Formats: sequence, C-alpha cells, structure tokens
Amino acid sequence: MSSTGVTALSDQQPPVGTHKAGDDARASSPAGRRPRRKADWRKRFEITILSGPAIIMFVAFVIFPVVLAAYYGFFRWKGYGAPTDFVGFGNYLIIFADKAFHDALMHNGIIVVLSLILQGPVAIVLALLLNQKIRGRTIIRVLIFVPYVISEVIVGTGWSLMLQTSGAVNDLLQSIGLGALRADWLSDPNIAIWSLMVIISWKYIGFAVILFLAGMQSIPDELFEAAAIDGASYWQIQRRITLPLLGPTVRIWAFLSIIGSLQLFDLVYIIWGQYVAATAGTSTMATYMVANGRTSGNYGFGNAVAVVMFVISLVIALIYQRFVLRRDMAGAITERKK
Amino acid sequence: MKRKNRVAGVLALVAGTALLATGCSSSGDSNSSDGKVSMTFWHNSTTGPGAAFWKTTVADFEKANPNVTIKIQAIQNEDLDGKLQTALNSGDAPDIFLQRGGGKMAAMADAGQLLDITDSISSATKKVVSEGAIKGVSYNGKAYAMPIDVLPEGIYYSQDLFKAAGITTPPKTMDELNEAITKLKATGVAPVAVGAKDAWPAAHWYYNFALRECSEDTINKSAKDLKFDNDCWTKAGEDLAKFNDTKPFNDGFLTTAAQQGAGSSAGLVANHKAAMELMGAWDPGVIASLTPDQKPLPDLGWFPFPTISGGDGDPASMMGGIDSFSCSAKAPKKQCTDFLNYITTKDVQEAYYKAFNAIPVNKDAQSIITEPYLLSVLEAYNKAPFVSQYLDTLLGQNVGNAMNTGVVDLLAGKGDAEGIIKAVNEAAAKG
Repeated sequence: MSSTGVTALSDQQPPVGTHKAGDDARASSPAGRRPRRKADWRKRFEITILSGPAIIMFVAFVIFPVVLAAYYGFFRWKGYGAPTDFVGFGNYLIIFADKAFHDALMHNGIIVVLSLILQGPVAIVLALLLNQKIRGRTIIRVLIFVPYVISEVIVGTGWSLMLQTSGAVNDLLQSIGLGALRADWLSDPNIAIWSLMVIISWKYIGFAVILFLAGMQSIPDELFEAAAIDGASYWQIQRRITLPLLGPTVRIWAFLSIIGSLQLFDLVYIIWGQYVAATAGTSTMATYMVANGRTSGNYGFGNAVAVVMFVISLVIALIYQRFVLRRDMAGAITERKK
Repeated sequence: MKRKNRVAGVLALVAGTALLATGCSSSGDSNSSDGKVSMTFWHNSTTGPGAAFWKTTVADFEKANPNVTIKIQAIQNEDLDGKLQTALNSGDAPDIFLQRGGGKMAAMADAGQLLDITDSISSATKKVVSEGAIKGVSYNGKAYAMPIDVLPEGIYYSQDLFKAAGITTPPKTMDELNEAITKLKATGVAPVAVGAKDAWPAAHWYYNFALRECSEDTINKSAKDLKFDNDCWTKAGEDLAKFNDTKPFNDGFLTTAAQQGAGSSAGLVANHKAAMELMGAWDPGVIASLTPDQKPLPDLGWFPFPTISGGDGDPASMMGGIDSFSCSAKAPKKQCTDFLNYITTKDVQEAYYKAFNAIPVNKDAQSIITEPYLLSVLEAYNKAPFVSQYLDTLLGQNVGNAMNTGVVDLLAGKGDAEGIIKAVNEAAAKG
C-alpha cells in the first residue's frame, strides 16, 4: 500500500522535469533552433545512454506500480495470495458514495486553498524583508528555513505534545492570564484543522521564502537601478518590478504547494494516528487510503483509492500546467536562465 | 512545497524494504543440512521486564536445544499487525509470532499462512492448559496457536483516588459508577482515562455495553454472519452515548494514546491523574512501566464492568482476549511447536507472570499470583458463564476497525448509535 502511496506522490514530478530538461537540451543545441529530423546516430546514442537509466527507473518505480494499483483496484482482495474476487468498478462506486471520502476530499481542498492564502503573502513579505541588507539577515534566513529541514515525524510529534490538552501551549496560555483561550487544539473537531494549518504553515513557509528569495536574486539589478534613477520609490519598485518578475517563481511554488497539499499524509498520520483523523476532521485522501486499505486489510479497495487520488492529482496538475504554467514553460524561465 | 518529501518517502520505502529483507533473510537458511535450525520470532514487548523475559526464555530454550537458534525481534504493539501482514504477504513471515486470534487468525489460516499445531500440542501442555483456552485459538476445529495467558477485561482503578473522593466500595452497577464519577470529578482528577487515539480502547466501552445488552447467541451469530440487525447492538450504542453525556473521560481523550508515555491513558492512571481505565489484564504491566519509579502501582484495584438494568446478556459475562503465539506455515514444524510447548511449562509461565503482571494460562502457575487485583480478575474469570473474545478481533480487521472508528465518532459527538451499525455494514462491503 505504502508503495502505491509513494508512487502517487512522485508521478507528477517527472513531467515538469522532463519538459524542462527537453527544452534545455534543444535550446542549448549549437544553432539554438530545433534541428530537422536528421538521423544523427551519435546524438541518438547519446540520448539513449543519458536518458536510459532515468527511463528504466521511471517505468519500474512509477509506471509499473501505477498499472499494478489499477489492476488490484478492480478486485476485492485481502492481500493474501493472488487476487481472485473481481468486482469491476465496485470499489470505485463505494469510494464515490462514501461520505468519509467526501470529507477527506474536502479537507484536502481546504488545505490547498488555505496553504496558498496563508503562506503566499506572508512568504512574499518575509522574502522582501530578507532581500534587504539588514543586520542578522543570515540568522533570520536560517531560522525561517529550519522548520522545513526538520523531518515531518519530529515536527508532528513535537507539535502534538505541545498542543495536547495538558500540553505546553495550554499551560502557557494559563500562566500568562489567557486561560480562557485554552482549547482542545487537536481533539476538538472544530479546531483541529486550523491547528493543522498552523503547523503546515510553520513548517513549509521557509521553503516558500527561500524560493521567493532566489527568484528575487535573479531579477537583474539594472532594472532596480534604472527605476531608482527615474525616481521610483521603494514601494513602487517592489510593486512594478519585483512582484511581476517574481511571477514565474510564485506560480511554480503554488504548483508544488497544491500537489503537496493534495497528498498530505505524514503530519496527519503522526499527530492523529491511524484511526481518529476522520473523527477530528483532518483526514486527507492519503489517510483515508491507509485507514480503509492497509489498516483494515482491504488491499483491493485501498488500491482503488490510490488510483482515484492519482487521477485527481494528475488532472489538477495537468490543468495547472496547461493554463497557468504555460507561459513559464514556453520560455520565460528558460530564456532568462541563459 | 513537499518535493523533499517524495524523496524522503522513497528513501524510507527503500530503507524499510532493506530492513524487511534483512529481518527475514534468515528464513532462507532455516533448514540447513547440518541439522541446525534457525527461526525468527516476533513479539510486542519492546522494553522492560517483558523484553528481558523473552530474551531469557529464548536463551534457555536454545541451551536445551543446541541445534536451534531463535532470532528475536521486538516490535511496538501498534506497529506489529501492519508489519506482520506485510511480511506474510511478501512470503517472508517470521517463524513464530504473536497471534491476536479471532477474525485475524481466521484470515491467516484461510490463506494457508499458519501451521496447524493440533497434533503437536504435547500431553504435558494439555494437562495444564484448559481446553477452553485452546478452543479460543482454534478455527474450524484446528488449533493454530498456543495460548500463553488469559486477558479478561474490567476496570482498573486507583484505590487512593477512590478513597480521596469518598468512594468506599467499587461500583457494581452503572448508577453506582455514575455516582462515583461525579464524586471523582469534584476532586479534580479525570474520572476515566481512555486512549481513543488508538480507537480500540474507546471501542472496548461499546463492547462491554454490547456484552450486557446482547445474549451470547446474538454475539456469536453476528460474529459469524457480520449482520448486526438485532437491536441490542443499537441499544449498546445508546447506553454508551448516555454514559458519554456525563463527560466521564479525560480531557482531549480523542488524541490520547493508550500505552505510550505519561500522557497516555495508562500513563494518566499510573501518575494518579485519572482514577479508572477499562482494559484487559495486560494493563497492570503497562501501568507499572509508566509509574514515576517504573514499579507496579501500589494502590491498583480492579472491578468487573458494571451491570446495567435490563439487557439480554448475563451480568457475570466478561470480555477477554487470549495472547497466543503461532507458527507460520513455512516454519520448521518440530522445533517451532517444541518452543510453543516450552512456553506453557510451569517455570516459564511463572516467569511470564512476574514479567507481565498478567494471568498465565498454565493452571499450576496461577497459584503464585499474589496481587489482590489479579486475584479478583481470576475469580471473576473463573465464574464467568461466557467470555467473549474482543469484538474487533472476533469480527476481523476490516469490520472490527470500522466498529472501533464508529465508536470514536460517537464519543467525539460526530455520530450516534446507528452510525456504528452503519459504519460496520459499509465496511463489510469494502472487504
């Protein structure tokens, strides 16, 4: 089960990578334009050698498991021996009718939207701040990035200890006279998803900041100098130059954030365990898959959930690439790189 | 946002596979030509006297059987079932492993993963282990595991906290329990600890209400056909909802674990933060490992699940499990069953009782029990007209899990008694 989970996690990545790699290869060909179909055996040999290992890995560890998951998804299967009880689309009908799955899907949607809304603006402001020459800049950068480097398990365990009803957060609130704000941060179904959002934002905002900083660094200084000479104020420069030119970076970050949110699993699993995520209102498609597939021993059903997750993520990724990332793919990124 | 994760996930998978591979690589050489036999052994006692007990027992067995080596792997209780299933699926099962019984054992037996040990149970073992215990680990008339202890369920409580609240005798009826809870609340401790994060501890409250509401026949029939149309199942849910309305459980019980750390339900009892916990007979051992000095809780007491008014169940019936060990189908039969017979011998069983504070299955070994709470458990157990296997085990992984989560939903205010039945019926369709 977990292997299909990982497959579903990794399948969106290659299209981005391969596109880019392909574009780069073409762009860097001697004449800078696409060579006509001329059978240059050396070049073919080179491509085979260079891409062979990647393709073999991709097929063996991504395509093959996806196909296998699709196959198992058509069976009612307990995981022992070969599957025999063929049920057609029966598993899928159950998934689409299951309220628990609807809830999980909705939680995923909430996490996608809130991640973008909460992290994006804050990260841009932080990046603008850190792009200035201020004292202790390096230390602040490191501090903001540290949560992203810490493993999910540590983050989950740490926060769940602090947020317990008898945990540090409630004790702190009590001791500074805000006892009225004490709450069951993790176990109250009305609050739990917000606690989760705080933890997610805390953890991943550093990644957004670093991406945005890198994006800002790659904006040519000449533009700022020219603007300054023309008498533009600081805010005008940020609004008219930095933010528009940061567009491609923001769009890529949003893409990664959406995909990550759709596949969120580890934090929820660590904090809420194997059983109660749905009750606490923090279940995601991935935790639904594990709870109803692996934990319940319904491996056929779990594989069907994995396929549904895969298709949902794939469709969203393709739509996003087609309509949002199109400009960036077509040249904005690659040309500026040269 | 989470690109790193995928890499981490893949790495974890690779590492996990590697671990599995190394963990099970020994099964290849289990029957080498020079008569030496090597077996792998999975149990769930990762720390303390339990882990030490298994080390000593295995070492003693190896000394008596110089041709046999047994590799021990202790796996955290909540992880054990998942890992075991993966190992069984991959054909690299451990030779000897902890068996939960019930529907889980039936699924393994149906898949041909278990060794039929019916004929290998020695006459010496049969003399000291009751027929009922062997029956409890049999399926279609064949024994697939060796029982090692009996784990009847009831409510463990702190006598000191009861005294401080002015409760003189342990409650016998539901009304008395509710009274006790009101008194305990006034003293500021949590009346009842429950580790709902693991789902099953919360579900055990439902099981026990069901045991009082449903007759023995109804429970056995539902376990077989997985139909819960008798309205005693709904009544049990309503009883639990009514009980839950009095807010008897510790704050934040939904994310409280059962056994890990001082914040777990057993930890709350061990540190006098909560007065009661409904648990099987393994609980004294777990509580002992979580007290500040890691010694048994001196004021621990026990009383059976209270009776209710009405209901079809016998008021003296109990929930109870049996810990047992199975041999996998591929294990070397003689050596493996020798080991299973060995762990039911008197000396081993007495050591088992000392290590786990649990009731050993060997009747001769039971005489050394001294703790008053275990003696009262044993007394109630011997009087019980019907001891039902824990329902999640009885119903199997799929339906059992759904029942457990249905109960948690009810306790969290997200579902009702009908919700439990609905969840159970829906799960039956998934598997």
